[in-house]
Amino acid sequence: MTALAGNNYGDTPVVPAKPDNYLTHGKTIRSWLLTLDHKRIGIMYLVVGLLAFFIGGMLAEVIRTQLLVPQGLIFHGTGSVASSYAAYRYYNQVFTLHGIIMVFLVLIPIIPGALGNFALPLLLGAKDVAFPKLNLISFYLYVVGALLAILSTVLGAVDTGWTFYTPFSIQTESYVVVMVLGIFLVGFSSIFTGINFMVTIHKLRPPGMSWFRMPLFLWAIYATSLIQVAATPVVGITFVLLMMERIMGIGIFNPALGGNPVLFQEFFWFYSHPAVYIMILPAMGIVSEIIPVFSRKHIFGYEFIALSSLAIALIGFLVWGHHIFVNGQSAELDAVFSFLTFVVAVPSAIKVWNWLATMYKGAIVLKTPMLYALSFIVLFTIGGLTGVVLGALSEDVVLHDTYFVVGHFHYVMMGGTLIGFIAGLHYWWPKMFGRMYNERIAQITCVVMFIGVNLTFFPQLMVGADGMPRRYASYLPMYQPYMIASTIGAYIQLVAFLTMAGYLMHSLFYGKKAPVNPWGGGSLEWETSSPPPHDNFETTPSVADPYDYGDLVFDPAVNGYVRTEKPADTLVPVKVAH
Amino acid sequence: MTMISQMLGHLGQMDLSRLTAAFWLPHGESTFSPQVQFLWNFWYWISVFFTVLIVGLMVFFVIRYRHTKDRTIADPSPTHNNALEITWTIIPLIIVMVIFALGFTEYMNMDSPPANSYNIHVIAQKWSWTFVYENGAISNTLYLPVDKPVKLNMTSKDVLHGFWIPDLSIQRDVVPGRVMTTWVEATHPGTYWLQCAEYCGNGHSEMRAPVVVEPYPKFQQQILAAANIFEQDGKPLPLSTVGKKLYTTLGCLGCHSVDGSKGTGPSWKNLAGSKEVLANGQTVSVDYAFLKTMITHPGRVLIKGFPAGVMPSYGSRFTGKNVKNLYAVVWYINSLSKYSNKASQPPVPNNPSGSEPAASSASGKAAASATSAAPAAANGAATPVAKVPAGPHPVPLHVLGAKLYQSLGCIGCHTVNGQPGVGPTWKNLAGYPQKLTTGKTVIADYKYLRTMILDPGKMDVVGSPAGVMPNMYKYQLSGKKHPHENKLNAIIWYINTLSNRSSKATEPPVPDVPAAK
Repeated sequence: MTALAGNNYGDTPVVPAKPDNYLTHGKTIRSWLLTLDHKRIGIMYLVVGLLAFFIGGMLAEVIRTQLLVPQGLIFHGTGSVASSYAAYRYYNQVFTLHGIIMVFLVLIPIIPGALGNFALPLLLGAKDVAFPKLNLISFYLYVVGALLAILSTVLGAVDTGWTFYTPFSIQTESYVVVMVLGIFLVGFSSIFTGINFMVTIHKLRPPGMSWFRMPLFLWAIYATSLIQVAATPVVGITFVLLMMERIMGIGIFNPALGGNPVLFQEFFWFYSHPAVYIMILPAMGIVSEIIPVFSRKHIFGYEFIALSSLAIALIGFLVWGHHIFVNGQSAELDAVFSFLTFVVAVPSAIKVWNWLATMYKGAIVLKTPMLYALSFIVLFTIGGLTGVVLGALSEDVVLHDTYFVVGHFHYVMMGGTLIGFIAGLHYWWPKMFGRMYNERIAQITCVVMFIGVNLTFFPQLMVGADGMPRRYASYLPMYQPYMIASTIGAYIQLVAFLTMAGYLMHSLFYGKKAPVNPWGGGSLEWETSSPPPHDNFETTPSVADPYDYGDLVFDPAVNGYVRTEKPADTLVPVKVAH
Repeated sequence: MTMISQMLGHLGQMDLSRLTAAFWLPHGESTFSPQVQFLWNFWYWISVFFTVLIVGLMVFFVIRYRHTKDRTIADPSPTHNNALEITWTIIPLIIVMVIFALGFTEYMNMDSPPANSYNIHVIAQKWSWTFVYENGAISNTLYLPVDKPVKLNMTSKDVLHGFWIPDLSIQRDVVPGRVMTTWVEATHPGTYWLQCAEYCGNGHSEMRAPVVVEPYPKFQQQILAAANIFEQDGKPLPLSTVGKKLYTTLGCLGCHSVDGSKGTGPSWKNLAGSKEVLANGQTVSVDYAFLKTMITHPGRVLIKGFPAGVMPSYGSRFTGKNVKNLYAVVWYINSLSKYSNKASQPPVPNNPSGSEPAASSASGKAAASATSAAPAAANGAATPVAKVPAGPHPVPLHVLGAKLYQSLGCIGCHTVNGQPGVGPTWKNLAGYPQKLTTGKTVIADYKYLRTMILDPGKMDVVGSPAGVMPNMYKYQLSGKKHPHENKLNAIIWYINTLSNRSSKATEPPVPDVPAAK
């Protein structure tokens, strides 16, 4: 064990008598809004992100309710074809807003913004991120971007789909420019967060924490940051071009002016495919933290999990063309993209095997975070395997732009990213707020959620294979049984989410006080009090192998784990080789 | 409450056989389908195997290695094993490479249409599909022959659309500004659905068309019948009836209702002869001239309360040789209005017999249609309404050219009214100087036009994208099979009739009216 040498923060009071923590450190609204504390910024991200998720989720329920009947239950015409089309415009606005909110305001920022901000410096044993002011700027760029998205919706909404494909997005009479400007700002927020986290991981690792001694969540965040910094500028420029196209008619994407609408798709997916990994990698990092803790066993294949994150991030840049196989790009180019798509599937498979191997011979505790982590493995497996068939060229031709694709990416985004986020939220909740939630209700909610997610998205895979295209406000009656099943699943999810909101709110005020280390985690955030003090650590923590649980034993007196001197006869798992 | 009864109603009609067969793809009915289904099944069983393996191991570990009072720490086991890591890297890699190879092989087949394919031009627009066959027939139902490869040349008039027939295992985006191609050979007769797969706005989910696959002789009958919309069983139809057909075929129904309900565009109910307020505040009465402008040049006027720039330009479908379509649609609009009057009606009679609509339909029917059409045309109308010349009289080549303009799909990229398209407009093309990308300027004479049509790769004109014009026309219009280049001459004659600088040098070497001399 290496001690944190020479990292004394100086002005810490010698006797911290009052139980001050970061939540009580300042009580004014100003002390929150202008805070430079990474933990408070994380909480603010969490609040705004969950608010966005609530709006996006309710829009999803509207979508599912509309699709209960073939001609549309909420938005439908009064008999004539023309009146139906006019009504479907509202449906199109709803699914567009659902996609934009979920992708740009929830999936991309929520894990790095909320959990990453809160946990990353703690995991490093650091006082804060490298650039606290940049961190606050990131948050406000995100908020302003979100406000512009709302403004665009209030002014008259957007009906382009979250992909903004040209030339539709150039021609449609809706507030595309305002919306795109909002996303442009959210993009900058993402870039700044990425830079901040990369520098923090490079520069603020404590002595003794070499690269291969970092918790795997940090590897995942690092790989994510790499993509955020390298890919986001491309979508920024693309959206600037789209705005110029709309305002000035520069003719780069508009075929009527000699532009190329397919070029937009290339630019868009050059960012938006890597963005998928921005969404999923942090969730994989969370699962890599939770599985060993709740298996009470050292993670298996540390280097393979760590390096597979980097492999995904790098190869992920070279596969964007698989979104546009049927748009007429050359068959040879399609072949190259198809090949690379299959290559990028392998590192994800490696992670799954390593998680399973970690559980082998463990002492598995099925607490809520673990249940969500296991749900993640199942749902991500289905999401990943359905992605494999989409990568095969001749199969993509019969599945492209169908509900099969919708089912596939919801398995990955909802079943992967969001379930991973919920796992992480439950894992770090006691640390964030110093309170425990009702474990039994949370476990039941997780099971209900798992059923709901599968019932929502599995019928979508089936109906898509059967030929139902996506983004349909109405559909052929033969698809109705699947649509009804999917809608019931969405309602079950709604019940699960409302229950979750209920017991988490309850825990904030009435939950049992959380111990320092409720789960027996070995990384540094479990060395400080729950919730942590403003400066994170009262005493400087010492760095050890984060996955060594040999000296952590459960103490019923504090209802949590405490470190003991290792008894001589206890078997200690083999340490990482570095 | 109505919602619940509606739901129950549909549940009652649920087809259970679909549900049980459903995880699989639709029963494929084209030559691509067997291979697509094979790879799908291959992938499916591999996925089932791995899902069961992963979930099975997970459940087994959770039960076998659960945390109990007596068992609070893990059993000793290694934290890494390179041989194991390499095994579970290599095996999935091999499996996905096999899937890649199988998918790629079939895809290359999908990408290469056979040379003997029948050509159908597909026109996509918000929110309808139109199919133009080799004989010039136009339909909204896609007719396909069994066991004969069909090449689909697809163009879009506005935004991206997706040509997607699940049962025939084909899909291709239709990108505006390009000719997109795909091909299919159906193997079984039947009726399937073509659905738009690429989001295109309000009517996206209703942008579908029936696909009727029939034995070749029946297919030919169908497209012959579809070729002449102005007649049924050899008898001419009233123009308003034809207009009603065009309301569907040309996609007007997507925005204009006929029952007064609100749509993206004004309802046609009680429109003709009424008073409308324009976006600029002016009040106009909807007469024939106004309707004509609205249809052929929608950018010029805008009725208050409706979005600008949504209505596609139908110019070439309603002017020149196609002016009859305009009469038909305007007659149909008139038949829907109680304000219909002389001023709002087209300058030709609705009824092919020449009598006024409704008023005196009983009389005059006996009159020969050919003779009664003539006075009507002379009666102040600018264009005669006569049928396309039939019978023993030779058809002038430029009339044939005008038909080929549609059936060969030239219409997708070249306008005939001077408006810009993907390719150069044919209005005032012949005899005018053309600027090439090489910097040279050449006069569009016969030789130039012939080269551009048969061998479009040879030169590129400034302002039109390179590589877009299909190079298949040399097989359809020239070569061993067409030594006289009759159709090619017809098209070039047609181009000549559209130009005011047409001269001996720009005309084909054969006369326009073969038997006139």
